[in-house]
Amino acid sequence: SRRVSPELLPVRHICVSSSLWKKNLAAAGPQKFTQEFIDKQVEEFEIGKRHLANMMGEDPETFTQEDIDRSIAYLFPSGLFEKRARPVMKHPEEIFPKQTAIQWDAEGRPFHFLFYTGQQSYYSLLHDVYEKILAMERHQDKMRNKGLLTSETKQILLTGSRWLLKEEIEEYLVENISDHDYMRLIQLMEKLLSMPYCSLEEEFILKFRKQLEVQSSKHEIPALQYDPQGVTFSVADGRRKTAKASITLRDSGSGNITINGRNYLHYFPLLQDREQLMFPLHFVGMLGRFDVEGSVEGSGHSAQAGALRLAISRALLSFVSEGDVEKMRQAGLLTADPRIKERKKPGQEGARKKFTWKKR
Amino acid sequence: MAASVRHLLKPWTPSLCFARWSRYNPYYLDPDPSKDARVPDSELSPEQKELQELKTVRPIKAALSSDTSSPFNDPLISKFINMMMQDGNKILARGIMTQTLETIKRKQVEKYHRSPAAKRLEIECNPYTIFQKALENCKPIIGLASVQKGGKSYQVPVPLTDNRRRFLAMKWLITECRDNKHRRTHMYEKLSQELLAAFANEGNVVKRKHDLHKMAEANRAYAHYRWW
Repeated sequence: SRRVSPELLPVRHICVSSSLWKKNLAAAGPQKFTQEFIDKQVEEFEIGKRHLANMMGEDPETFTQEDIDRSIAYLFPSGLFEKRARPVMKHPEEIFPKQTAIQWDAEGRPFHFLFYTGQQSYYSLLHDVYEKILAMERHQDKMRNKGLLTSETKQILLTGSRWLLKEEIEEYLVENISDHDYMRLIQLMEKLLSMPYCSLEEEFILKFRKQLEVQSSKHEIPALQYDPQGVTFSVADGRRKTAKASITLRDSGSGNITINGRNYLHYFPLLQDREQLMFPLHFVGMLGRFDVEGSVEGSGHSAQAGALRLAISRALLSFVSEGDVEKMRQAGLLTADPRIKERKKPGQEGARKKFTWKKR
Repeated sequence: MAASVRHLLKPWTPSLCFARWSRYNPYYLDPDPSKDARVPDSELSPEQKELQELKTVRPIKAALSSDTSSPFNDPLISKFINMMMQDGNKILARGIMTQTLETIKRKQVEKYHRSPAAKRLEIECNPYTIFQKALENCKPIIGLASVQKGGKSYQVPVPLTDNRRRFLAMKWLITECRDNKHRRTHMYEKLSQELLAAFANEGNVVKRKHDLHKMAEANRAYAHYRWW
């Protein structure tokens, strides 16, 4: 057989379609950002913030995020309805989603032993909590052996806080978890809490609880104003079921109540409505002290009385102490009643009443 | 997060339609309009202490338009007025209730003045206590439920919750006063007669309660048919 050198062998070009050259975008997954890229973005953001402050004529050192938002809205006014489509300048932490670093080494071996579960941080958290439960049981046995087991152990204060929501846990773990997973985690934490020596792990548990704000701090107290005669008064509004009321409480010393220019005995012939007007004043114990002047329109007598009651309670906030504000709130005086007339539905006579049911 | 609690504070319609819902999110707690009924902290049970602390963080519903902080406001009387009310005529129902209480007071005061000094201490003049005691006497302890077994339905004796007992007592009183009376007697007269009779453990309503108890006693054999 003839021996031919490889350089002289004919070269055959294998034609391949261009579709194989295109990147498979779907298989790549979410776009990965390296730490250097994020750091560069943060640097650019800081420099840009200083430039923006100089542009707006303000101090670059004390330029907060609200100032940035205000400046951007001023420099780039946008009429777009979708708020998320408007120009935005925020810290890169809020724009680029948090991602975990590469989980495996150069040879492709994962670092974490639970990598192949798919949710390594979640399962490692479950493992941690269970470790703590076991450790607590061992501690309990040790105390029992020594004879020091008491039922009066220090309890963790849990009122006024709630468990973190599923979204918050996802943010903490930088992973997606299902509702079932979340429930499982909460059950495990409750089991940890049910043990007698749970105060040892107080710090760990409080990491997963969020403090609820005290509700009474949320009420807006109307400002105390002064008459030309020197009498203090306050103005407040109230609404109930399309009735709108406005009240002026004057600290004059007589107990007159005037609604829409008429005495409340004439305007509300029904005792129940007058009782509702007196309710907030009687509750605080200042019945004869104030002069109430009110105007109300809309809806029926009961709704008007309810609107006036809410307005009187709100106006009273400026004359009353902090403890009394909380007491009024717990008596139900400061909540606006959300109940309205239920709408009529198609296919029915009214809101609930159905048409006559005919079997055939 | 404040953002995630805010959606619990708005007027609410449930996503899954229940048979009975309200515009308040279930997150809201019920109000307590009474003025000076606070028990000092040392006498509270641990659950009541927890409830008190929960109240500081949770939003509270608005007080009803029939509730006030006045000492004359009785939730039992309010409930009875609502049950007596027909077609939303609260004015009429409340008027009847006031007249009933007045009639009871008048009758009792008359009785008080007519009786000898020895018996005067036993006569109760406060119409509110009479109403509460009379209602207590009308409340059944055990009720009957219809259970279908093997094609036949049996009346099975069943324990009743507090709310159910109160409801049945009030319902019997009202139906009794609406049906079994002379054409010319007013509702408040008949009601006052029934309440005074129930206070003394006599009258048709108490008789009805005893009949229910006897039926339950008679059907004792089927008590094991209850599975709840």
